[in-house]
Amino acid sequence: MAALTHTGPVAGATAPASTPRRMRTRRRQIGWAFVAPFGALFALVFIVPIVYAAYLSLFQERLVGGRVFAGLANYTKLAADPQFWDGFARVVRFTIVQVPVMLLLAMALALALDSLRLRGSKFLRIVIFLPYAVPAIVSTLMWGFMLGVRYGLFRNLNDWLGTSLDPFRPGATLVSIGVMVTWAFTGYNMLIFYAALRAVPHELYEAAAIDGANQWRVIRAIKLPALRGSLVVTIIFSIIGTFQIFNEPQILPSMVANSGITTYYTPNLYAYNLAFTGSQQGYAAALALVMAAMTIAIAYAVQIRGMKRALQD
Amino acid sequence: MRLSSKARLVPVALVTAAALVACTSTGGGGGSAGSEGDGGNAKLTVWSWDGTVELAVPGFEEANPGTTVDVVNVGSSSDLYQSLDNAIQAGTGVPDLVMFEYFAVPYFAIPGKLTDLTTLGAGDLEDDFLPAAWNNVKLGEGVYALPSDYGPAAMFWNSATFAQAGITEAPATWDDYYEAAKKIRALGPDHYIAQDTGDLFFLLSLIWQAGGRPFTVDGTSVKIDFSEPATKKAVDFWQKMLDEDLLNTKVTAWSDDWNRTLNDGSLATQNMGGWLTSTLPERAPDAAGDFRVALMPQWEAGQTVGAENGGSSFGIPEAAQNKQAAYDFLEYFTHGEGLQPRVDAGAFVPSAKVLDDAAFREVPNEYFGGQATGAVLAEASKAAAVGWQYPPFFEWARSIYGDLASPLYTSGQGSLAAVLETWKQRCIAYGNEQGFEVS
Repeated sequence: MAALTHTGPVAGATAPASTPRRMRTRRRQIGWAFVAPFGALFALVFIVPIVYAAYLSLFQERLVGGRVFAGLANYTKLAADPQFWDGFARVVRFTIVQVPVMLLLAMALALALDSLRLRGSKFLRIVIFLPYAVPAIVSTLMWGFMLGVRYGLFRNLNDWLGTSLDPFRPGATLVSIGVMVTWAFTGYNMLIFYAALRAVPHELYEAAAIDGANQWRVIRAIKLPALRGSLVVTIIFSIIGTFQIFNEPQILPSMVANSGITTYYTPNLYAYNLAFTGSQQGYAAALALVMAAMTIAIAYAVQIRGMKRALQD
Repeated sequence: MRLSSKARLVPVALVTAAALVACTSTGGGGGSAGSEGDGGNAKLTVWSWDGTVELAVPGFEEANPGTTVDVVNVGSSSDLYQSLDNAIQAGTGVPDLVMFEYFAVPYFAIPGKLTDLTTLGAGDLEDDFLPAAWNNVKLGEGVYALPSDYGPAAMFWNSATFAQAGITEAPATWDDYYEAAKKIRALGPDHYIAQDTGDLFFLLSLIWQAGGRPFTVDGTSVKIDFSEPATKKAVDFWQKMLDEDLLNTKVTAWSDDWNRTLNDGSLATQNMGGWLTSTLPERAPDAAGDFRVALMPQWEAGQTVGAENGGSSFGIPEAAQNKQAAYDFLEYFTHGEGLQPRVDAGAFVPSAKVLDDAAFREVPNEYFGGQATGAVLAEASKAAAVGWQYPPFFEWARSIYGDLASPLYTSGQGSLAAVLETWKQRCIAYGNEQGFEVS
């Protein structure tokens, strides 16, 4: 007791000298306290799974013998796996065709809305954006019914035109998926472009009007350059998105017979099937990491190129 | 696509994170499971997608005061197997009883994830079950599950469509079936005797009935062979049906399109498991009164050989907490008093006693024009040939079959025999990777 009461004043005596330092450390601690919830959550849902996936990817699961350490065997196996490369090549082909089509469409719509020559532009904006709010599963079911040749809309169309087109024959399925994806995401990209156009200072248009520029000239000289930054962003988002195609090829086979969709149709689907029906979690983890690395590399390359162009101009 | 695939990853990530935590914490202390909780107050958890199991619970709880049974529907069979694998890996949340399709039993039994029920007394029950069903749950000398429902292969045929084609009786042999197929095909461009878009289970039941045994499993050594004469006979027959355009390869089973063709009678037969009896009325209400059930057509006139197409069983995980109580309940609803409420609700069970019961056999089924379907299916069940085995990795094998069969069904490239050969090669590669000796 005596010792306790004695230490009080002593500590108090030294207090004035050390206050600034203590306040600084306390302030630093408060900062950490604010960041901590985010940090903990980030570590739990982001860092831990990635580290765990990296750890898993070094093992092979066996029904007989359980989990065995395999070193980099999963990665070398992946490099030589024709099914993985088949799926990878498919999403690359898909990206090369679908992303430009979708972004050009989105850009055209954004320019049309921005021109102020459309009636009910607010309404149109909502309508074009609406598909983005439809869950991908619902949209796949809906499109599946519309494009199915044995029932629904496409059968009627074929009957009417006397044709026998099948949007879900193996060679055409990817195009049909492209239609579904374009439908779903054009509105989203359009909004990004539209926001960029709205941010253009009005003085520029006034100056252009004074100079006697016509609408096309305004688009070429003012509006398109204004879109460049958001174009880089939308391209990156779209590439990441198409590399993750999963829902459509997962659902379509149960609606349509023999649409050519395999268990390795896209890398994402392949990883899912490896992990959940093949119980090859280690291999699936390796695939996931490699896909993530490739997606990041491609997105990064696009970004660097985009930045460079933006800086040069 | 974008957002939801990310959203999908979040639960996966959480599960893997949880599994990691659980894995590291259980390593040493998980050995005592099993004895505690037996007798007295036990709380049983049952994972099942069979709605009739719950009907046996009240009677069991009454007869075993203090024991409570919680039947949980974890989702489709593949969802259930995944959840079980995760729970076993994590070491927590392992249920006391789990439903398995017959082909999934070895998948869990071989790596030692299931309890050998002979240690709990299951060896005495053999004679009360159908031989083929019992054969499905046996592995060597062990019994790893008890059969709970059964899918004898049967032929559902639309008598109205057959009458249009001038046929009044169900085809008794596959030769009759082939002749009937040609007559039905002549009825119209959409008329077929059956559809097939690569139905592996049907093809295997055809091989099974013909006497082919493509898979032989002995412990961890697995042999796959599609070259037996009996197997070839079945495969060649079905190839002929495909080649002569006698099968609809555009309509896939369980699709809306399938419902439509069943309703309007343009699909004349379905060769499926006996479980279709309860599903068909929902799928094809417009065809009420037209369908009949018959035995699968035979390879030789006068024979009665059958096969299986589906069916399931229940086993007790090795990591279950209340094994004795779990076994008591298992015995109760697959074999004992608990059978009756399930049978009354429409369950088709491989119990010899039930299948011989006049009350079960002689009930007229309105949807099938008053036919006593129970008697036909009971006969089909007893006819199911024994000796069939599934490879332990069948769940995976069946998932890739579609990849390989698709070119044949879409463009007629290749043959069924070639598809099976490629399938075999893939199975061998996969099986060996998984630690089996497959040849």
